[in-house]
Amino acid sequence: MTEEIRIGVFICHCGINIGGVVDVPAVVEYASSLEKVVHAERNLYTCSSEGLESIKSAIKEHNLNRVVVASCTPRTHEPLFRATCKEAGLNPYLFEFVNIRDQCSWVHMHEPESATEKAKDLVRMGVAKAARLEPLEELTSDVIPTAVVIGAGISGMTAALSLARNGFSVHLIEKEREIGGMLRKLYKLYPTDEPAEEFLERRIKAVKDHERITLHLSSTIKAVEGYVGKFKVILDENGVEQTIDAGVIIVATGAKEFEPVGLYEYDGENVITQLQLEEKLKKGDLNWAAIKNVVMIQCAGARGEVLGYCSKICCMNAIKNAKLIKEAHPDINVFIAHNELQAYGEEYELYYRDAKKAGVRFLRFPLEQRPKVRKSDGKLIVDVFHERMQLPIPFEADLVVLSAPLVQNPDALQLSKLLKVPLGQDKFFFEAHVKLRPVDFATDGIFLCGTAHGPKDIGESIAQGYAAASRATIPLAKGYVRSEPIISSVNEELCAGCGICESVCPYGAIEVVEVEEDKKRARVTGVKCKGCGTCGSSCIKRAIKMYHFSDDQLIAQERAALPTEVIS
Amino acid sequence: MRADCRMEKITEIINRTKAYYCVECGKCTSACPLSRFGDYSPDRVVERTLIGLPVRPDLRIWSCLTCGRCKEVCTYGVDYPEFIRRIRSVAKGEKEQGICAHGELFSVMRLLTRQSETPQKRLYWVSEDLMVRDKGDMLYFTGCLPYFDIVFRDLGVHTVEIARSTVKILNKLDVVPVVMNDEVCCGHDLYWNGEIETFKRLAAINIQNIARRGAKKVIFSCPEGYRTFKLDYPEFFDLDFELVHISEFLAEQLDEGKIDFRTIDEPVTYHDPCRLGRHLGVYDAPRRVISTIAPNFVEMASNRENSLCCGTAGWTNCDSFSEEIRGERLKECSDTGAQMMITSCPKCLIHFKCHMSNRKGDYDLEIVPFEVFVARAMGLVK
Amino acid sequence: MSEKSVLVIGGGVAGMQAAFDLAEAGIKVCLVEKTLSIGGRMAQLDKTFPTNDCAICILAPKMMDCYRHENIEVLTFSEVISVEGEVGSFKVKILRRPRFVDAELCNGCGDCARVCPMGILNRFDMDLRVRGGAYIPFLQAVPLIYALDREKCMRCGLCKVVCGKDAIRFDQKPELVERSVGAIIVAIGFDPLDPSGITEYGYGKYDNVLTALEYERLICAAGPTGGHVMRTDGKEVRSIAWIQCVGARDTRDNRPYCCSVCCMHATKEAILTKEHYPEVGTSILYTDLRCFGKGFQEYVNRAKDDYGVVYIRGKPSEIREKENRNLEIFYSPASDKVEKLEVDMVVLCTALIPSEGVEMLAQILGIELDGYKFFKLKDPYNPTETTRAGIFVAGYCQAPRDIPECIAHGSAAASRAMEVVLGGSDDRRD
Repeated sequence: MTEEIRIGVFICHCGINIGGVVDVPAVVEYASSLEKVVHAERNLYTCSSEGLESIKSAIKEHNLNRVVVASCTPRTHEPLFRATCKEAGLNPYLFEFVNIRDQCSWVHMHEPESATEKAKDLVRMGVAKAARLEPLEELTSDVIPTAVVIGAGISGMTAALSLARNGFSVHLIEKEREIGGMLRKLYKLYPTDEPAEEFLERRIKAVKDHERITLHLSSTIKAVEGYVGKFKVILDENGVEQTIDAGVIIVATGAKEFEPVGLYEYDGENVITQLQLEEKLKKGDLNWAAIKNVVMIQCAGARGEVLGYCSKICCMNAIKNAKLIKEAHPDINVFIAHNELQAYGEEYELYYRDAKKAGVRFLRFPLEQRPKVRKSDGKLIVDVFHERMQLPIPFEADLVVLSAPLVQNPDALQLSKLLKVPLGQDKFFFEAHVKLRPVDFATDGIFLCGTAHGPKDIGESIAQGYAAASRATIPLAKGYVRSEPIISSVNEELCAGCGICESVCPYGAIEVVEVEEDKKRARVTGVKCKGCGTCGSSCIKRAIKMYHFSDDQLIAQERAALPTEVIS
Repeated sequence: MRADCRMEKITEIINRTKAYYCVECGKCTSACPLSRFGDYSPDRVVERTLIGLPVRPDLRIWSCLTCGRCKEVCTYGVDYPEFIRRIRSVAKGEKEQGICAHGELFSVMRLLTRQSETPQKRLYWVSEDLMVRDKGDMLYFTGCLPYFDIVFRDLGVHTVEIARSTVKILNKLDVVPVVMNDEVCCGHDLYWNGEIETFKRLAAINIQNIARRGAKKVIFSCPEGYRTFKLDYPEFFDLDFELVHISEFLAEQLDEGKIDFRTIDEPVTYHDPCRLGRHLGVYDAPRRVISTIAPNFVEMASNRENSLCCGTAGWTNCDSFSEEIRGERLKECSDTGAQMMITSCPKCLIHFKCHMSNRKGDYDLEIVPFEVFVARAMGLVK
Repeated sequence: MSEKSVLVIGGGVAGMQAAFDLAEAGIKVCLVEKTLSIGGRMAQLDKTFPTNDCAICILAPKMMDCYRHENIEVLTFSEVISVEGEVGSFKVKILRRPRFVDAELCNGCGDCARVCPMGILNRFDMDLRVRGGAYIPFLQAVPLIYALDREKCMRCGLCKVVCGKDAIRFDQKPELVERSVGAIIVAIGFDPLDPSGITEYGYGKYDNVLTALEYERLICAAGPTGGHVMRTDGKEVRSIAWIQCVGARDTRDNRPYCCSVCCMHATKEAILTKEHYPEVGTSILYTDLRCFGKGFQEYVNRAKDDYGVVYIRGKPSEIREKENRNLEIFYSPASDKVEKLEVDMVVLCTALIPSEGVEMLAQILGIELDGYKFFKLKDPYNPTETTRAGIFVAGYCQAPRDIPECIAHGSAAASRAMEVVLGGSDDRRD
């Protein structure tokens, strides 16, 4: 860097948030005394239009080529100040944010003197780093206006239809020979009691009819290359290899029912699962004349028995099947043995009440004393410990139905590796943020919906399908993606191609590739990189530089943190 | 586990009273006055019935006070008092019954359904200073007041004073009520003890007699009679007359400015009878009247919908727990600092007086019937 | 051809997410918010379950992104008063209520608030804190523009004197603006029920019975007590009980439904309490513990095993106040038991119900409500479609759901709106 570094420092009062504790004028004076600082000022609210104007005019007037703002938190205000610098003609990455509110005045509000000293230290550190900042350009990448949706169950079909209606081509990939997913196995749906087949048919027709949706049946994913905007999805379509170029990918691979082998005398004949029951109901396979008592057992294999989580839908599903059986055969006794009954929300609580009105009876057991199924004289008996009455009660059962949880598909692990997206502890795909980004993956351009994300009902699967479509439409509609240039970069001369960085990267942004014959080096795909620094800190050769957080910048900051007496 | 042929009847009861909505949250049991003091659990009876476990014979189905606290607090819509009443009538059909204190009263009620050569001397309390008549628009249904006065004379309940006060009040308001000598018991106690057929016979007699008198409106001083006519008779019969409780009637008159009361300074409190309060929702009318007379009216800790029962209903299974409940209620009264507890139900009056007579000297308070209280304030009685 | 813009009514998480997705896809959005700031109910929370993220910390960046987005026009303190037209081309009239402060000039310095002599209960803090007549609802409000309380302001003029920007405008009038949009998304959230009518629990009568949102403000570090749980009599709080389903799953007031989030909300509040005060006893009295979401069962396990939160199954019938202002809770944990639990403080997890004014809005929009005043869906499996083409619904106002579900729902509504605006769909509802 040959040009003279001219740093401007703006210290914010933030009303009394900072100014009420930190002696801002003193910090300004101190900042002025630092090397390379040619301008220091204080603002009441740097983020106000007044403050921003002040930054812009200072940049022009004092020819600033680095800006430090010492105020609140970059989480909310960094984009604002960067944009301000940009407006004044300064590269937005020549801006450094120092937090003297959350990290200073707020936590040391009873020690104004120490807080002021700390604020000075923090500013000094910020200035030290700012001096070493380099201009960076945002990366822009085109987006192919095509989407790939993996999984043609209800959420995948919904996502595909929505995207298609928005004007984009969609490749809908399904590993089975027919589309429809788990809905194909269902008998009737709650809370409307409508037949699943009719429900599905309408939607399948819409998908098949839509000109912009290309269906790939009997297809599995072999490989995925590329990054947001430019994915290459390589399929095995019924034995033939296909390559699809797409801008976005949506994972909608669904889930399957847990098989409660070894639990509750499960035998698939007299002790069956809810899905097996649905199949039998659909086919009319049950000998109703021989059935007087049906007992359903909730949480079979879930909530601490084999699996830890609650599968959300089993209670309502059992209630639905129980109600249907009771309505069709009022003389049969139908019991549901449950623990915490998940009939949440508006409709489900009401549907639960309807089931009770229809005559389904509920037995509550404690989780520590789950029901036991035994055979006695060729009959099945379910021993239920009645929690409220604190009584064990035996129930004769001609049919026992186990409500087993949904679990991740066995091939999900493979898919997660191909896409480089994570699975959670419960093995379902893990979203970018459990609260705020339920249908995004941390990796840009890949989205998630339906039961692949976790157990959920049809309404929610459809909502998530739409949601994923909405999120996917953003890059598709824009036609480009822009990403922050705070990324890593590999010095190929130092790199040994060991692959540690690739193995630790959470975003699949760095890969070891063969750059020449017998020469492997790590390469970063800038658009995928989030600048988390994991690769940089793992590199044993120190071959990786983190832009905007380079070693020399950070070391300068660290050194600036220590009092000058310590460092010679 | 068996399939009981009586299951059909039980299932019908479950459906009618919506007992199937029970989620076993236990709110009823913790609200139940009996459960607080003794071994009774409304939800256990319902749960057993829902699963098909036998609830009979079990004396505890007769213990329920039918006070309605459970129904009041239940957020799932289960009508437990009605549930237990119907279970009782199935039980009665199987010749089971509870332990009835003062069971001879039931014999009297049953006798009244028969034509007798010995007519009742029911109107002995009508003294010369009272104006009554035989036919007219407004009829005063006296209920069992004349009988209670005699049967419980040792407790000093003086229930006929309730009747006298009521008539005096009505007279003062220019109403000359009809009273019937051939009035029979409203049937409340039999109804709640499962004896439906006898109840229906009594009802038929009353309705016929009232019709013969040309009454358009029937006024009650007894909440049980009022409730029975209002909610239970219509299940079997059509009624061509309106029904009102004396407290409601007085509140109306008060609103229209037709009454002058002598006020008193002492603090008084009011005990909501279950049949008037929770069963019929009449909480405000008596309070408006009482607080006009006694501006220092205070509420007990459990009042209105949360009111405590007087501890016995329909004379059945009156036991030590009933006594504890009554004790609790009277303690609430003394906690308010009031020395007068007003109630508009003769049964409550009898039960509290009985309790107090068992514990002479323990209580420094007076139980006053609402009608007597009002009549005093109107200067009609001492 | 549709108007290439969408109206979003409601600036909570669902509305903001919908607006953001649309804006990012190049569609212009007008986001109308009734109160002075966007952020909605999540801004009132301290932390969110099951991650225990600081609510405002993760929300504020979203609020800023929304406000600053070039395609989003945020109109706060505004209400939609009429809608005409049809899908593809709605004409909307919006009433902008006067802040009595010039929004262009105000820099959010707060000097006016500091001199204002009025003391008014702050609704954002569930009436637990007093604000001035010149105020912003909370510190991180977006936009950070002050307002004068229209009803209680005395026009003393002190604010006008101190305002360095001369931004006070006593004579500011309401403004009517019109927008043309292709689609509308309703995301107006919910209100907490006032449990005064549920007399058995003594809310409003007893000092130490609070609602869950009130407790949330107490335990929030940015709340009225700086995160200290305290009683009005100053006595130390050593035990707290949460009561679930207050006014919900309740046929007595026509609210037989479940509000979906309260079991987890109580669990979170109990965990936070234990984090602040490990010695305080925390009990949750519930009927059915609704722990169905991602990570919820694990969260409850943590509450029980790691934090010692006690879960008691049993709905209390009564709460009584003792002389020392402690509360006595009567409940039945098993058929043959009635027990009394004495605690220093009771938190009622009340029902969360459709907002006040929902009927009026439904009428203005020409869409139907169901029997419980949630917006009615045309088809139960198309969770964002109202009964009128081109108008979509997102979030809690359609049915009880938690934050991630509201956000997904917001995106879902956005995608339907995109179909209308980008795809030219006429959203025909047969």
